[in-house]
Amino acid sequence: MTELLVKNAHVIDPLSGINGETMDIAIRDGKIVEEVSAAAEVIDARGMLTMPGGIDSHTHICGTKVNFGRYMSPEDMRAGRTPRRGPMHATSGYSVPTTYGNSYRYSVMGYTTLLEGAMAPLEARHTHEEFTYTPLQDTMANTLFDGNWSIMEAIRDGDVKRVAAIIAWTLSAVKGFGVKLTNPGGTEAWQWGKNVSCIRDPVPYFGVTPAEIIRSVIEANELLHLPHSVHLHCNNLGTPGNYTCTLGSLGLAPDLNPRRQTLYATHVQFHAYGGSGWKDFSSKSEPIANLVNMRPQVVIDMGQILFGRTTTMTADGPMEFNLYRLHHEKWSNHDVELETGSGIIPVIYRRKNLVNSVMWAIGLELALLTKSPWQCLLTTDNPNGAPFVRYPEIIGLLMSRRYRDAEFATIHPDTGSRVPLPAIDREMDWYEIAVMTRAGQARALGIQDLGKGHLAPGADADVAIYPIRIDEVDPSADYQKVIDGFSRTEYTIKRGRVVARRGECVVHGSNSTLWVRPKVSENYDMGKDPEFVEKFDRYYTVRMSNYPVQEQYLNRSRCIETETEL
Amino acid sequence: MMRVNLTLKPMGSWSIPIEAESIIPANFLSGTDLTVWRGNRELGLEEAFSVSVVGGADRAEDVEIVLAGKTARLKRVGEYMDAGKITVLGDIGMHCGNFMTGGTIEIQGNADGWLGREMGGGSIICRGNAADYCASGYRGGRKGMTGGRVEVYGRVGDFLAENLAGGTVIVHGDAGDMPGAEMRGGTLIIHGDCTRPAANMKDGACYVYGTARWMLPTFRNLGTVRHEGRTLIQFTGDVANRGKGNLFVGNYEYLD
Repeated sequence: MTELLVKNAHVIDPLSGINGETMDIAIRDGKIVEEVSAAAEVIDARGMLTMPGGIDSHTHICGTKVNFGRYMSPEDMRAGRTPRRGPMHATSGYSVPTTYGNSYRYSVMGYTTLLEGAMAPLEARHTHEEFTYTPLQDTMANTLFDGNWSIMEAIRDGDVKRVAAIIAWTLSAVKGFGVKLTNPGGTEAWQWGKNVSCIRDPVPYFGVTPAEIIRSVIEANELLHLPHSVHLHCNNLGTPGNYTCTLGSLGLAPDLNPRRQTLYATHVQFHAYGGSGWKDFSSKSEPIANLVNMRPQVVIDMGQILFGRTTTMTADGPMEFNLYRLHHEKWSNHDVELETGSGIIPVIYRRKNLVNSVMWAIGLELALLTKSPWQCLLTTDNPNGAPFVRYPEIIGLLMSRRYRDAEFATIHPDTGSRVPLPAIDREMDWYEIAVMTRAGQARALGIQDLGKGHLAPGADADVAIYPIRIDEVDPSADYQKVIDGFSRTEYTIKRGRVVARRGECVVHGSNSTLWVRPKVSENYDMGKDPEFVEKFDRYYTVRMSNYPVQEQYLNRSRCIETETEL
Repeated sequence: MMRVNLTLKPMGSWSIPIEAESIIPANFLSGTDLTVWRGNRELGLEEAFSVSVVGGADRAEDVEIVLAGKTARLKRVGEYMDAGKITVLGDIGMHCGNFMTGGTIEIQGNADGWLGREMGGGSIICRGNAADYCASGYRGGRKGMTGGRVEVYGRVGDFLAENLAGGTVIVHGDAGDMPGAEMRGGTLIIHGDCTRPAANMKDGACYVYGTARWMLPTFRNLGTVRHEGRTLIQFTGDVANRGKGNLFVGNYEYLD
């Protein structure tokens, strides 16, 4: 039995309804408890800001796509080099660091749970192996279903239960957590040399539209009672005028689940563009935020960009090809058999570039114009908008109008006429930031009942203590202190152990992987469905028996079984 | 003037190269208390070299380092050098003159790979041959050499002046495959022959006075021009990369 007592913590824990109380946190065997014995080890937080461990609900840190980013950019490994130190392995890389680099840097910022945003089912083993070497965070993987042949055929036949059954079989097989749709139908269309311009365009051969895919998969997701909702990367990413498509997609979501949203739309910044081309490119964050404000069944994340170098990576193949035609730099695209695809391009976002400046403003506007912080979460779509190590800068921008104005003065001078940002006065408070970086994520991912994202007794003892005394710091003026504070915790506690202390990781760690096994009846076991099995044997390059990821690939397997309606 | 003579001691059975980024003129202004690395072991300069210093200097411009001995496996000499002179009497190992911004390196023998990688200024003269990636960029990087001058009197290997973005590179002998790949500025002059010059070039000028073999089909022929007493055929490209570079060749042969 190991016990830990964090004394004098100034706690903000939105899921427990705690907004700034100085209290003690008792921890026994990795869980929060009511009280511990006098023998417990004591940490004195001395009134510092204490929150549940950070959760990133959309990041790209592990898997084939990320690794191909590493292959493509050996120059990225010149940055961020740190030697082996104590229990810390050597790390390198900036936008696509080594797995240990990701894990240590997240831990130093107080993050304890990460969701890999897009895992191609066929390539799941790679993701799980990299998870094993991301030791200081619990991990989950959203699984891609955007161009799944069997699902599109089931949708064409109007059989939502079959869609659900395929999702159930695949999630169990690849040890996935949630359902991800990346440019639904678009990547499949691109393999025919086409794309879908919006949600009403049919996918070649299959004849289904993105709207039908989104709606059917949402219904299937709820039939399976999955913890997370459908996680959508809308069609038409990065195109001027795409906001209408985004509004249409978000409008498709019915309100089916009282406990959480029914649709999670990710990196919406990339989907909130006005104009008919790059010349009249403008922000359409307002109509999007207005729609989100009216629809509690929708949660979005920012997908903020920050200026500098990074790597874009997505399963949205056609979008990356268009980006390549814009930049003419190095580029990779990839096809994943019957499932999806991907593309990777390194980019540099520049202040002197008008389009990049408008993009920068849009992300902030989405967060500031969405009234409820529970509905707009803080992300950069790491590393697409910026590497996650820059999250503290975004917190600073959201909390300080003065900082926004100072930054705004350095970007392209024409930005002001194209974005509403200069007129927005809102400055977020500590509580809202806590929602946007952990509590909101836990609720959106449906993992608060698994003890994530809060500090009530029974929760996992994942705690971040930041060297900030919120009664002494005015975030509006001292934004640099806010940025510094969120960049480096005083203590990061994971599963009841101190894992990071003032920028140094102090233990080897060992992650858990959360995955979902929906319980379906015999009739809906796709592993025994003759048509599904035949399709598999005929078109995949692997045998069906070799496809599932064995549990040995998961470091600490944490299976979530759901009762379904199948 | 200050002259530093460094003679590499016989390495015995050691085959591990020595990394000697500390050997630049500016470092000797404050004495010879420097270290080099052999594998994971740090050695004092005097453990690896016989050191003698003649005269004195108070600025790096007045320091000359003379390297003698079997220096073919001595790496990173002159890295980040900004002034002064280094003379290598024999061969030199990889990464000589990385990132240098000023001063002169003269190599009497041959240079191994990555000579003058990403240099920004100064000059390198190699009397012998240079291996691959001479005057190039870093793997995957966008910009290679940005300024200065590299002159090689012998042959060079593959990927000469890859990602060249500025400065001048002159080779008196032949070059290998893919010289001037991804060029985006600067001037590359090859007196001899080479294969596939200037692939994917964006900008800059590449001269091949000899024959360009396996000439890439993505360059547009603009006809003949006179250049310093020679008649050369001018191409522009690389069209595949929307490039506006100029490629001048004495002769060319397409791959059959």
